Amino acid sequence: MIGVQTLALIRDTFREAMARKIFWGLFGISTAMILFFLFLLRIDVVEGGTATMSMFGGNGREMEVERLVRGVHGSIATFLYSIGMFLALFASAGLVPSLLEPGRIELLLSKPVARWHLLLGRYLGNVLIVLANTTWLVTGVWLIFGIKTGVWTPQFLVAIASTMFLFCVMLTVVFLVGVLFDSTALAIMAPVALMIISPILAQEKTVVKLLSSEWARSFWQGLYHALPKVFDIGRMTLNLVRHEPVESLLPLWTTAAFGVVMLALAVWHFERRDF
Amino acid sequence: MSDYAIQTHDLVKVFRTRWTRREVRAVDGISFAVEPGTTFGLLGPNGAGKTTCVKMLLSSVHPTSGHATVFGLDSRAHKARIPIGYLPENHRFPTYFTGTGMLDLYGSLSGMDAATRKRRIPELLELVGLEKWGDVRLGKYSKGMLQRVGLAQAILHEPKLLVLDEPTDGVDPVGRIHIRQILQSLEAKGTTVFINSHQLGEVETFCRDVAILHKGKVALSGRVKDLTATKGFRVVARGVPEALQTELSGVTEGESVIFRMPAIEGANAAVDQLRAAGCLIESLVQTNSTLEEVFVRTING
Repeated sequence: MIGVQTLALIRDTFREAMARKIFWGLFGISTAMILFFLFLLRIDVVEGGTATMSMFGGNGREMEVERLVRGVHGSIATFLYSIGMFLALFASAGLVPSLLEPGRIELLLSKPVARWHLLLGRYLGNVLIVLANTTWLVTGVWLIFGIKTGVWTPQFLVAIASTMFLFCVMLTVVFLVGVLFDSTALAIMAPVALMIISPILAQEKTVVKLLSSEWARSFWQGLYHALPKVFDIGRMTLNLVRHEPVESLLPLWTTAAFGVVMLALAVWHFERRDF
Repeated sequence: MSDYAIQTHDLVKVFRTRWTRREVRAVDGISFAVEPGTTFGLLGPNGAGKTTCVKMLLSSVHPTSGHATVFGLDSRAHKARIPIGYLPENHRFPTYFTGTGMLDLYGSLSGMDAATRKRRIPELLELVGLEKWGDVRLGKYSKGMLQRVGLAQAILHEPKLLVLDEPTDGVDPVGRIHIRQILQSLEAKGTTVFINSHQLGEVETFCRDVAILHKGKVALSGRVKDLTATKGFRVVARGVPEALQTELSGVTEGESVIFRMPAIEGANAAVDQLRAAGCLIESLVQTNSTLEEVFVRTING
């Protein structure tokens, strides 16, 4: 029974995302980007790019093309990780308050589905919507560049994993704020605020040296370690895409822990709440 | 295992406002029981606690104290909701679904397998008279049609207990009769029907038992036929002197005057007085209350 119910919850989320044009909006942006790269390659940007590199002293066509492709991959990974993430969060923020609308939630709760299951079913549906679009964009671009240039760098596919990882974490904030306040606006603002302050907090080592008070230093470090490390994971992704070494995996673990705590709090509040 | 379809024990719900923590006691120690296979009406004025009570049975509101069981299972357990079909008041079905799609969604959530859903959905759409509307989006449905497809949703998985919140709200008279017929056929098959409604006439016609809530408490409960039994006696007479009409609190209706007496002794004494004054007695009959009268008397104390 749990499988049938989970599929129904995922299907409901997909249908709502399609009806609200969320799915098609994200799909349209991804497709537009794929078409953009198709167009660029049609005018032979690769040949033009390598020619430019050669003019500035580059030698060896294969190496230059690979550098160019890696550069493009890095740009797309950065786009996905920043602008794409914002768009995905904007698109997802209304899906929790709509679930909690009076007249709808009572009927869902009257079904033999545990509350945690109801919430996690919607969470999973939301994640799958963004996963479908991210996969479409990344694999689309990867295939286009691979076919055109013959350069197949599977490291670019890491962008799917890192984008989805961060989206899964930020979505837990959307869900927690959503079940706490039923507000789409707040559900957007909270994760976006976390994304904005992340690069500032990431300057932890520099800032700590500048702070005179021990209390302020501890506070800054506490914030840095407790909140999701959007900036650090972004840098890590870029390094992987560019075949460069990654310093530490600690930001991944602490960010994952943050997501688990947020999701647990969302479920806990949802279980206790009256509708 | 409880012998009852629903049993509540001293249910209390206190709502607290988020910031000021001000308390509102919506339900204040409600206990009642509903026998399996019967029809039960929950009545009460606005704010009496009816909807909160229903929501506690379905676990969308958590009791502050006390507890409820559904076929012997704690109502808070999600398994307790397997045998329940529910139609909420002011429901908001996802309008992006067609009638068939919506039934498929809620059927899946009720644990029905695909083959059973495929068989039952057309049957149910036909039962509620929407067989030609299955592929139309719910956004195009009228209020009455939404109510009917909502009823189909509630009975799709053949529940043992049907909980209906204002089931005929927004439905035209023909549709109401149709819904009543469906409910009567379900009752005949042994389904327990629990109705929360303001439509006292409908509850009186359909329900075997009722409970009237007032200010969060059960003010009156019992079988409808017992509660509406012998209200008193009605004496109709002609040629009644004004002084006697005033003394016996008679009400003029055309050329006659009607006197209402709560007991047979009072009715006989009134007849004696009227006969002594030379009045013509037209009739002396025993009268029953309507559920509406019982309701108003209960609420007004």
